[in-house]
Amino acid sequence: MIPADAKRKLTEIAGNAFLDRPEDMRLYEYDGGVDKALPEIVLFPETAAQIAAILRVALDHRIPLLGRGAGTGLSGGAIPCRGGIVVSFARMNRILEIDLDNERAVVEPGVVNLDLTLAVQGRKYFFAPDPSSQRACTIGGNVAENAGGPHTLAYGVTTNHVLGLEAVLPDGAIVHTGGMGQDHPGLDLTGLLTGSEGTMALITKVTVRLMRQPEAVKTILAIYDTVDDCANTVSEITARAITPAAVEMLDGVMLRMVEEATHAGYPMDAAAVLLIELEGLQEAVEEQVEQVRDACAACHAREFRIARHAQERELLWKGRKNAFGAIGRVSPFYYVQDGVVPRTQIAPTLRAIGGIGSRCGLTISNIFHAGDGNMHPIILFDARKPGDLKKAQRAGEDILDHCISVGGSITGEHGIGMEKVELMRHLYSEESLEMMRRLKSLFDPDGMLNPGKLLPTGKGCTEIRQLPLVNEKTML
Amino acid sequence: MTPTTPQELAGSLRAAAEKKQTIGLRGASTKRRMAAAGREPAIAISTTSLNQILQYEPKDLTISVQAGLRWADLRALLAANRQMIPLDPPYAQQATVGGVVAANTSGPRRRWFGTARDLVIGMTFIPIDGLAVQTGGMVVKNVAGLDMGKLLIGSMGTLAAIASVNFKLAPLPEATRTFVFSDRNPEPVFARRDEILKSVLQPSSLDLVNPAAAAKIGIDGWSLLVRAGGSQRVLDRYSRELPAAQVCEGPAESKLWESIEEFTPSYLAEFPAARVVRVSSTLREVRAVAGTLPGPVVSRAGNGVTYGYLPPETRWSPPAEWQACYEYGGGDDAWLNSGDDLPLMRRVKQMLDPDGLLNPGRYYGRF
Repeated sequence: MIPADAKRKLTEIAGNAFLDRPEDMRLYEYDGGVDKALPEIVLFPETAAQIAAILRVALDHRIPLLGRGAGTGLSGGAIPCRGGIVVSFARMNRILEIDLDNERAVVEPGVVNLDLTLAVQGRKYFFAPDPSSQRACTIGGNVAENAGGPHTLAYGVTTNHVLGLEAVLPDGAIVHTGGMGQDHPGLDLTGLLTGSEGTMALITKVTVRLMRQPEAVKTILAIYDTVDDCANTVSEITARAITPAAVEMLDGVMLRMVEEATHAGYPMDAAAVLLIELEGLQEAVEEQVEQVRDACAACHAREFRIARHAQERELLWKGRKNAFGAIGRVSPFYYVQDGVVPRTQIAPTLRAIGGIGSRCGLTISNIFHAGDGNMHPIILFDARKPGDLKKAQRAGEDILDHCISVGGSITGEHGIGMEKVELMRHLYSEESLEMMRRLKSLFDPDGMLNPGKLLPTGKGCTEIRQLPLVNEKTML
Repeated sequence: MTPTTPQELAGSLRAAAEKKQTIGLRGASTKRRMAAAGREPAIAISTTSLNQILQYEPKDLTISVQAGLRWADLRALLAANRQMIPLDPPYAQQATVGGVVAANTSGPRRRWFGTARDLVIGMTFIPIDGLAVQTGGMVVKNVAGLDMGKLLIGSMGTLAAIASVNFKLAPLPEATRTFVFSDRNPEPVFARRDEILKSVLQPSSLDLVNPAAAAKIGIDGWSLLVRAGGSQRVLDRYSRELPAAQVCEGPAESKLWESIEEFTPSYLAEFPAARVVRVSSTLREVRAVAGTLPGPVVSRAGNGVTYGYLPPETRWSPPAEWQACYEYGGGDDAWLNSGDDLPLMRRVKQMLDPDGLLNPGRYYGRF
């Protein structure tokens, strides 16, 4: 429970922009994942100074606290699993600066991802990270989770586009890392904080790189009668030194759900399709279309369609990006996983996923970023059936263990959150986890920020490790 | 000491730490004066015998190698499979992978491909306690856990020893072509850069040199060097878009870029006591920076990273408002204006190396 005097201070700092009624808290107990927990209060600050003051009160009273963007995350990163304070960035949603001459923008964390691209696309620029939730998700959330998206195959994930941060540490100190320029001397704290899932600092300002739109874009739909052929095309494309902007794969189950919901033109009878996008100079794109055509043919594609115009292209992408919504028509509940495997392991991994589905009696469909081996198996289940959720979660774990066994990872873009905390031990040695814990504790010695996320608690010790304060002078 | 296994490396670190001996972490020792020469350590540990290829599947476009592998050997191995890590570090012939990453050196193609922070996908590093830490992995997309590798990139060996590094790879372009615009005045050259930045062209490199630097690499005047990669058709498009440029291809092109990539080593060979200033600026500010620096200037004009070469007798120093450091020759004041995040950096250093034994003073004199 937040003590009454602390609560009074908090609401005062937030200028009375807060929610605490039980029915309102219900809106903040979940994100895009499967876990739930209620906060006690949600605050809506507008400045870094307010956030610093909030953090100082939270620290004084040892109240757990976490930041929240749009709550679209899929690993439970925004779930207040220990209750306490949620700091919503909904009112810190201004684009502060757009400087196209320098290919930069400075934004507040609550800016919606797509809004940044919309603000600059008229002048032919874009912000490259494009999570499927980009119409809703915020750039602060993208930074916290180091979000990806279909086009990260060509352009990299969020961390490759973040140049500087303003961050508030748990003790209320406001620090600035990186900046407008590149190659500042100094340890890359920007890179360390990006993807730290809100466990080390709250980000209050982000300097990002903007990119010039490519001249030409071609979107291709390659249709297959077998999943293996479809999957093998991915490493065939790599082997032929073709570098598409995006390579997305949808299996048959997924295709039919997407097509029924969106009528995007996906074939209803195929075993799998690849959605391939090529971007760049006109000449380069034209050549790559032919090279991709050859690669698809070598892997027995049944059909090779090129979107004829922007509308057709957008429809195909609408199908892809709204796929999760389409699932609702078929299954009342679903659980999205996020594993990564080396590109040559996609076909065997899809077979393993199929096997896991059969063993646990659940349908598992796949729609994923095949180009970088980022698998998104979607496990369909019915939470109303006792034991079904557990079964689905178990299937997810088995899939991730398979990803680890072939040299992959347990998350490519959704983050560890609370969902995969325990699986971290399957991926990393205790020494590696301990180093992460020590780094986290360096920023957040009292374990106040987003507790219960990212890192499994240490063997025999609590998550909270009080480190001796360092005298800066001794370092000189 | 030249350990031959990561375990031996860990053992050497631990042994030195127990005796509280200062340690000089070395690769090929090509950049001994970079950032700051630091204090002479009690012992030196070199990674040059840790030079194995740990994992390489060309179709996955990833590779894992030990830190002591020579960059040139890595480049040759990848080139045999028509692949590359487009970092273009200086001292490319002698430098080791670990040294390149620890110093975060890069070159002209960073315009399109980025630097080590974009190309490294995983790493094993060994702090002074000898307990190996793994971060990232062997897949190109991975957000499991803290991205600790970012801290090690550019840490100048002051935090831990890098034992192995995993990279993502890119295919080698079918061919390349370079376009050189030269003028006696800087304005037309910068105007051309601005046009290219705003155009649909996607050059891999966009470097700009002043007349003093141009003279050292066999060209004249203020010059913009634009490199494109791709098929003949793509390169012909660049030729159409970039008329009035001197075109450079084949061995002459390779030689030109090598002279740019190795500009710092060549300059320091000629003037061992010279200082090299590295200025981080916006793209727009490059014009003022390049115009102000005395002596030769080489700028990554598509990134806003500019290198100024100050001959030994030059008394000039950068204006206080610049984000600049002495990449070479700076001593304890090598980092001119640090920010409010320096205390955090010191805490990271203190946590990993509480007694300050690793490469003492090498982090721009700050730790």
